[in-house]
Amino acid sequence: MAAASSSDSDACGAESNEANSKWLDAHYDPMANIHTFSACLALADLHGDGEYKLVVGDLGPGGQQPRLKVLKGPLVMTESPLPALPAAAATFLMEQHEPRTPALALASGPCVYVYKNLRPYFKFSLPQLPPNPLEQDLWNQAKEDRIDPLTLKEMLESIRETAEEPLSIQSLRFLQLELSEMEAFVNQHKSNSIKRQTVITTMTTLKKNLADEDAVSCLVLGTENKELLVLDPEAFTILAKMSLPSVPVFLEVSGQFDVEFRLAAACRNGNIYILRRDSKHPKYCIELSAQPVGLIRVHKVLVVGSTQDSLHGFTHKGKKLWTVQMPAAILTMNLLEQHSRGLQAVMAGLANGEVRIYRDKALLNVIHTPDAVTSLCFGRYGREDNTLIMTTRGGGLIIKILKRTAVFVEGGSEVGPPPAQAMKLNVPRKTRLYVDQTLREREAGTAMHRAFQTDLYLLRLRAARAYLQALESSLSPLSTTAREPLKLHAVNTSTTRPVLGLLVCFLYNEALYSLPRAFFKVPLLVPGLNYPLETFVESLSNKGISDIIKVLVLREGQSAPLLSAHVNMPGSEGLAAA
Amino acid sequence: MIWNTRNSTYIFTAPEFPILEKQNWLIHLHYIRKDYEACKAVIKEQLQETQGLCEYAIYVQALIFRLEGNIQESLELFQTCAVLSPQSADNLKQVARSLFLLGKHKAAIEVYNEAAKLNQKDWEISHNLGVCYIYLKQFNKAQDQLHNALNLNRHDLTYIMLGKIHLLEGDLDKAIEVYKKAVEFSPENTELLTTLGLLYLQLGIYQKAFEHLGNALTYDPTNYKAILAAGSMMQTHGDFDVALTKYRVVACAVPESPPLWNNIGMCFFGKKKYVAAISCLKRANYLAPFDWKILYNLGLVHLTMQQYASAFHFLSAAINFQPKMGELYMLLAVALTNLEDTENAKRAYAEAVHLDKCNPLVNLNYAVLLYNQGEKKNALAQYQEMEKKVSLLKDNSSLEFDSEMVEMAQKLGAALQVGEALVWTKPVKDPKSKHQTTSTSKPASFQQPLGSNQALGQAMSSAAAYRTLPSGAGGTSQFTKPPSLPLEPEPAVESSPTETSEQIREK
Repeated sequence: MAAASSSDSDACGAESNEANSKWLDAHYDPMANIHTFSACLALADLHGDGEYKLVVGDLGPGGQQPRLKVLKGPLVMTESPLPALPAAAATFLMEQHEPRTPALALASGPCVYVYKNLRPYFKFSLPQLPPNPLEQDLWNQAKEDRIDPLTLKEMLESIRETAEEPLSIQSLRFLQLELSEMEAFVNQHKSNSIKRQTVITTMTTLKKNLADEDAVSCLVLGTENKELLVLDPEAFTILAKMSLPSVPVFLEVSGQFDVEFRLAAACRNGNIYILRRDSKHPKYCIELSAQPVGLIRVHKVLVVGSTQDSLHGFTHKGKKLWTVQMPAAILTMNLLEQHSRGLQAVMAGLANGEVRIYRDKALLNVIHTPDAVTSLCFGRYGREDNTLIMTTRGGGLIIKILKRTAVFVEGGSEVGPPPAQAMKLNVPRKTRLYVDQTLREREAGTAMHRAFQTDLYLLRLRAARAYLQALESSLSPLSTTAREPLKLHAVNTSTTRPVLGLLVCFLYNEALYSLPRAFFKVPLLVPGLNYPLETFVESLSNKGISDIIKVLVLREGQSAPLLSAHVNMPGSEGLAAA
Repeated sequence: MIWNTRNSTYIFTAPEFPILEKQNWLIHLHYIRKDYEACKAVIKEQLQETQGLCEYAIYVQALIFRLEGNIQESLELFQTCAVLSPQSADNLKQVARSLFLLGKHKAAIEVYNEAAKLNQKDWEISHNLGVCYIYLKQFNKAQDQLHNALNLNRHDLTYIMLGKIHLLEGDLDKAIEVYKKAVEFSPENTELLTTLGLLYLQLGIYQKAFEHLGNALTYDPTNYKAILAAGSMMQTHGDFDVALTKYRVVACAVPESPPLWNNIGMCFFGKKKYVAAISCLKRANYLAPFDWKILYNLGLVHLTMQQYASAFHFLSAAINFQPKMGELYMLLAVALTNLEDTENAKRAYAEAVHLDKCNPLVNLNYAVLLYNQGEKKNALAQYQEMEKKVSLLKDNSSLEFDSEMVEMAQKLGAALQVGEALVWTKPVKDPKSKHQTTSTSKPASFQQPLGSNQALGQAMSSAAAYRTLPSGAGGTSQFTKPPSLPLEPEPAVESSPTETSEQIREK
């Protein structure tokens, strides 16, 4: 066995391919229609018959039809609709009594639904949050019609500005209303007591007083109002309440509630807070500077996946141990625990369709999946101890079984030079012609240089001449069609000052041409803008003679022109055609 | 709607309001998975249901807008959030961040200060304030804020920004101090390691530079900057084959990097594969036509290939981009000399001598030209100038001079009948002998063939990361043992067209 596994690891390192993969493909259904998160997957022996089932809190396609699905083998055994989207699913033992069948808890909205034997057993609702006394007082006044809507609005707004805790929805809605709707709203709602309800964001379990595998566990809830609650497994009373600086997203717990426990909560502000039994407030804080996408405890190390495509390892006191960069974004993470070999590792589903398994920073295995894995869990399923269950972005379900002979060895693929180093450099080739030219240059370099310099000189000369000519003749402003006028453009090239009081005057042979306006004022010229000044020119002569029209730009009150230009008029095309 | 029959009259009881935060967790989970489409769908639904009151939905919508580049929209949404819950420092932080991204640093600072009032102990606020001050060039304030941030909580990014300030102020030592601390704090951050390595490289502390770059490469063997920097160090030590293998990795990852192809080209140059060198350099030049270092190298390689007309073009282009470098003018002068344009060669030398402060080669080459032209007096002046520079260099560092240069200097000294210069007493080793091209000297026409030495400057290998450092970016040339190159002797004086030197200045 050892020989087989070592040859296995030699052959392919951390990669897994068809022939010598560590996994058996048990089931793949791309159309299983399961859309969920890792937090909503749970494996448990729900009926106490030794056959482990998979519990899925399914959000449904597009998060539309939340359902509770229980799978046995590849098939859905039962399916029941849920009142709201499930945030988390967990199985736990409620009491010591035989038969020791675990209960199933499903957190959804403000409630935890507890099932026993897959039958609804108990519904726990989060207690209402106390309303702001000032706000309460205001609405009481409104009830007795002692306050008019406008004052109410002002008072509520001042509460919103200053108070720590948010207003109730009723007040918030009220503040959004137009003046005309306020009266009706107050009348409609004034008799209602104001409520503030929060919802559950995450849930996990914590052993009550024994560390055994099948010991009674408490539920630990994280709520939207930045609190953590520990529930009694039998009576569902709140045993402990802890507050956090932000909303918890992922929880990781170790220890026993009655003895000592550590709670790590990854929060929406990108920080991870670590609490202990006696602390009402976080004891340590890890600042990630990115959002966490998963939080897993492996032995004593907290492994955090971040949105910067990396896995980080931290101690329980928040000291950073290591960082591993992933090739793609992490979608989900979970723990892989192989009891028979005492192995604990982290699985991470990546956006590029890989599932990577890491022990600390060493890559153990890579599984390639046909679609990106969005949720995964590992454990006993059916009667098979080491089963990996994955669901994909498209709603597919993949079940793989770890071969009994498989041993995870820290793959050698990460050490040594990267594969790119073996690739040849793509150096551009040179042609025979190039070599010939090189030789020619060697022989006649001086002559080439001189010829070039002469040509450059000539080029410059011609450019200068052309420029001068263009300057002299002033670019022709004539149009090509008969309906279009003679166009001039005035641009003020000064950067700051506008120009006022300019005049334009045309001088021409009155026998040949007639212009409707031979003299006009130029409007105020704002710097940088282009002002088209147009005028029609009518040709009077029928002899096909053309002449020059002089354009003078004058300043008001001065007789000497500021600028003059000559427009070379073309011969009449009408005559030429006739 | 439920009709209630209390008090024997019908009272309309209001419908229950949905919980505002009902799906915040779902929005967040979609957001961190970068599944923005799904996220937007949930946000839309949530906002419809709550009539736009759900703050978190707006907040995430704004974050997505910002990721998509619609910063103005995101700013407006964050402002809405700030209205919905005015006590939240986070909303203000995001407003400030959007302002920052829009380039309104002053406004951003104001909002950050506002946020700081709500949350005193947030490193992020202090850090971002610091960054804003950097952009406003108020480095003292920026430093204060960044130190504040480090006191609250240490982050790599804060160290990087602090280091940047020192670099912007031109204080390399302090920058190194900061980066050292940062590396201590997070020893696996390849960016920190690379930057520190590059700083040491800039200061000429090669041992430490190599150590840090090597460390960076251990953690990330495909790190582009570190490979280029380490490769350029190997090149200066003549390990061209090792450098080339390293460059292969980069060539795969960043195939369009101009510094990479420049360095590869100079590796081939070192290995005397001139055609390959020219190919690579031309590719580099194609990718970065305005990089004078590449043009310099192209000029150098073409001089080696005796393609003086081409060399002239590359060098004069390089001078247009970098008019303040003596060595460039010297190379141009060498090209001109070989193109039999002595007049302009002299002008170029004069410019080179004027600009250059420490390279004795410039003066030596000039002296040789002057001597060959029969201007012994001027040649002597240049020779003495060269001696000054050499003794200065000897005092300051243990640089070894190129043997060819030394030999030529001795020859010239003899020809000028100066007492044998004492500056060459140090035994000269030549570690770069394989570097030299054999001289193809043509039979000299009539003068004594003294002018066969025109040792050229060293190859420019550029570590790509130099450009990310704000200071000392372009002009750092490590004065190391230059690969030298003998050229053919100049024939007699000829009438020269005068346009070339004009061209240098005009073009």
